[in-house]
Amino acid sequence: MNRPSVPRVFAAPSFVPASFVLFFALFFSGVATPVFSQTADVKAILKAIDEMNDFTGRDFTGVFTIVSDKPNEKQSAQQIRMFRRDDKEQFLILIMLPEASKGQGYMKEGDNVWFYDPSSRKFSHTSLKENLNDSEAKSGDFTKRSLLDDYDTTLVEDGNVGKVPVRVITLKAKTNEVSYDIIKLYVRKDRPLVLKQEDFGLSGRLMRTTLYPKYADIGSGKFYPSQMLVVDEINKGEKSQITMTDLSTAKQSDVVFTKAFLEQVN
Amino acid sequence: MKTLMIVAFRNLNRQKKRTFLLGGAVAFGILIVTVINGFSGAFSRNVAENMAHLFAGHVFVEASEKTPKGKTLDLIRDDSAVLEALAAAGIPADYVAKRSSMNVTLVFEGNKTSQNIFGTDLEGEKYLKERLSFKDGGFELTKTEPRALILSEGVAKKLNAHIGDTILAQLKTVTGQNNVGEFVLAGITQDMGLFSNMLAYAHREYFNQLIDIGPEEYQLFGIMTADLAKSELVAARLNAALKERAPVFELPPVVPAPKKAAKSDKLKSATGNTDTAKIEAAKTDGASTVASETVAAASDSSSPMGSRYRKLLRLSRKETWEGSKYRVFTINDMISQIEELVGVLNGVSLGILITLFLIIMVGIANTFRMIMYERVKEIGTMRALGMHRGSVRTLFLMEAGLLSAAGALAGMLVAALVMLGLSIPDFGTGTFFALLMKNGHLSFSPPLVQSIVNLLLVVAMTALAAYLPARSAARLEPAAALRTSK
Repeated sequence: MNRPSVPRVFAAPSFVPASFVLFFALFFSGVATPVFSQTADVKAILKAIDEMNDFTGRDFTGVFTIVSDKPNEKQSAQQIRMFRRDDKEQFLILIMLPEASKGQGYMKEGDNVWFYDPSSRKFSHTSLKENLNDSEAKSGDFTKRSLLDDYDTTLVEDGNVGKVPVRVITLKAKTNEVSYDIIKLYVRKDRPLVLKQEDFGLSGRLMRTTLYPKYADIGSGKFYPSQMLVVDEINKGEKSQITMTDLSTAKQSDVVFTKAFLEQVN
Repeated sequence: MKTLMIVAFRNLNRQKKRTFLLGGAVAFGILIVTVINGFSGAFSRNVAENMAHLFAGHVFVEASEKTPKGKTLDLIRDDSAVLEALAAAGIPADYVAKRSSMNVTLVFEGNKTSQNIFGTDLEGEKYLKERLSFKDGGFELTKTEPRALILSEGVAKKLNAHIGDTILAQLKTVTGQNNVGEFVLAGITQDMGLFSNMLAYAHREYFNQLIDIGPEEYQLFGIMTADLAKSELVAARLNAALKERAPVFELPPVVPAPKKAAKSDKLKSATGNTDTAKIEAAKTDGASTVASETVAAASDSSSPMGSRYRKLLRLSRKETWEGSKYRVFTINDMISQIEELVGVLNGVSLGILITLFLIIMVGIANTFRMIMYERVKEIGTMRALGMHRGSVRTLFLMEAGLLSAAGALAGMLVAALVMLGLSIPDFGTGTFFALLMKNGHLSFSPPLVQSIVNLLLVVAMTALAAYLPARSAARLEPAAALRTSK
């Protein structure tokens, strides 16, 4: 499999959609942007972010290496392989490291998420909102998400992530079925790439910060994070760094998205 | 027969040392088995009582509802049906507790621990006020602080938190959303050992905000009855009354209660009057229905497929319905696997008893054979004087029976003393085994029926061991026996 190219975050975009041209023209013109067009632009940004993470019509796989740090504990490392088929809302996560967890896996089929333990050969019901093993990442972080369907925009403002100008979009959950009630996205102004995300609990307190310093070009105009840093804002000092490699959108066999696959792999 | 009994008793007295040793072996076996039975007899009752204190109730009601997406939410939004059912069933509830509950992660200055918190009416819950014993802080502080939290000493020490400290709680709402809240430590209770991580209390109104349910909503309705032993009956009555007012989860009976021959049939055949028979049938069937539900409820608990409570929970995941659906269960339903463990313990003790006595039987058989050879002349004399063969055999068997009965009774007496001695030390509530004990003390309750069965079994096995030597003694010819020299 060809290793996808990893563009530097500060590189000039090679293609800028028309909607972004309009957006920047309005922004730099100093004209107060009417609420209607601002809302429409934010929706377009959110739609673009959703589409960036939508692999409908194809499969998505990758190897994720998660290195977790907790105060007073030894650094831990995990490696998982993920398979996604968004057409049928299926995904499968297979844990490859550490040895103690090797062979464990998560499988989503429709609304059901199963956890497989090869030592007991049993599947147990779990949730996308649970943490992946002992890391700060959750299973839901790697699946298709729909910001437009799940959230309403409550605030849009400008900001920076490092030296990169970003649009800061605050979203409030429409239902109580998503992991976090409020999320704040820091989106590059030049392309719909999220550089930082802040997750807030129902009480409004910041619970988690996720940074996306690098993206990989996986073809067809899609970019997928090749690096993530998840910081626990409640338990100070706890964080997980996730590196994504071997990203591919090649078609997978149907058997991959079955419980039998998890059992057979073991 | 009386004469034989006296002779048998005298014969046992003649060789005191041998009698004492054999009887001692029997007593030892009974001692071990009685202590095990006593422990297992108190086991499930202690666990049930401790768990009842933990959850503030013997009988409980929960409710579930389905979200538009088909997820199950466990909460009681409106308890009017439950309260009406309670009144209609005429159930006197000494204490009633309405609680929310969630497992949270408490974080304080870099320390964290997993903790179950009950959101409850800290001012109004009578049972809590009577049970909690504070080492620091108390209810005076909880009155003025809406975010008050009561923790046990062990947990407070683990977090290194003191009265007045603000502790973060990371948790999930009832729909699984992440949330974090702050609590102010207002009370530190006596350390509860194993229960420490299960027993923490907060104001229900504030707790409900954190888990995203309404201020008057909650998850567990608990009733503390006057007698734990009657909880199954109370639950059956409440279930029947609640069924008339709201949908209720019910399990199909696993072991149907054996129905007595319908009184109606007997009446009909006796009187030929079908109307009287129908009325009697209705009364009988009504009573037997409640009884069979009660029996079914109890027998469901011991199914190997999991506790009755878990089965009821599974129903709520599988079924679909509109609005709220209730489930009624007892503390025994939550810990029904304990009954299986008790059954296993009793089975093991029976196995030990049989194994021990098989060994002892060999000794008894040999000893009685020796006795027979020692008393050959004596047997010959008795036979010559007119004693029948059967009487000789009966004499030997009586000696064996008396020996084992006396040994068994002595063993039970010593077991009683041992159990009394073992129940004195206070192991405290800080150990893992506190759940099995009564206020930190070992407790024993040997079942009477089991003890009688053990006694009869021992007597029967001893008599069996002595049968062959007794039969050989009975078959001795008087003349040949008298001719034998020692």
